[in-house]
Amino acid sequence: MKVKVLSIPVLDQEKALTFYTEILGFVKKVDVPLSEDSRWLTVVSKEEQDGPEILLEPSPKHFEPAKTYQRSLFEAGIPYTQFNVENAQQEYDRLLDLGVAFSIKPTEMGTVKIAVFDDTCGNNIQIVEML
Amino acid sequence: MTFYQREIHRIKDVCYSNTGQIQKVLKTRNYIENHFDQELNLDTLAYVGFTSKYHLLRLFKQYYGQTPIQFLIDKRIEKSKFYLKKGISISETCYLVGFESPSSFSTLFKKKTGSMPSNFQKKQFSQSRSIGDF
Repeated sequence: MKVKVLSIPVLDQEKALTFYTEILGFVKKVDVPLSEDSRWLTVVSKEEQDGPEILLEPSPKHFEPAKTYQRSLFEAGIPYTQFNVENAQQEYDRLLDLGVAFSIKPTEMGTVKIAVFDDTCGNNIQIVEML
Repeated sequence: MTFYQREIHRIKDVCYSNTGQIQKVLKTRNYIENHFDQELNLDTLAYVGFTSKYHLLRLFKQYYGQTPIQFLIDKRIEKSKFYLKKGISISETCYLVGFESPSSFSTLFKKKTGSMPSNFQKKQFSQSRSIGDF
């Protein structure tokens, strides 16, 4: 078995695509219409385009428990997932300039430095720098 | 303050309060990052870190969740992918990342990535060619 696709639940796929590509810098990989308001929509890291794909999944829109779970995590400030970065402070400064809201500023946690931001699609996302 | 922010503070206090230990493992990781292409073993890392190898092994595992040697192997494999993608030969890549034998390098590469270095390299070229075709 191989890890090929990981999913992130999003409230609005089009808005998520804009945020994940134009703000975070991911690249759209697959976009297949599934129904009137759902797509199989994946993005990949620009630096690792053959790496795992992130499925921007509209589950909170179609499945109430998914919406409840997503909202509960968000309100508790818990990141849905995390991405690795070379330099957490630089990425924080870059995203802050683009208007991204952070709930945790760059913070050293032993051997890593973390920060947490709002992806505007219902999730907290953590960035991690290995020190 | 959110639940997660409270947890971050709690974990920081419980797990990461010993700055002396953290500096030691950070120094070791940094040394591996900068010397992965050389002959490295636990004795060298312990000597560089002014500590016993058993203590270093225990500390590194505690903070990084893997041994320094596992970390070194991962670093070498990651770097070898970079060289193979650039079209550098398998044997040259092997020596550039600090392995001593191309055959053991190939075996380890297959174990870690699922492909032999030759197949990995072919796949990279066919991918870049198909992108170029469009």
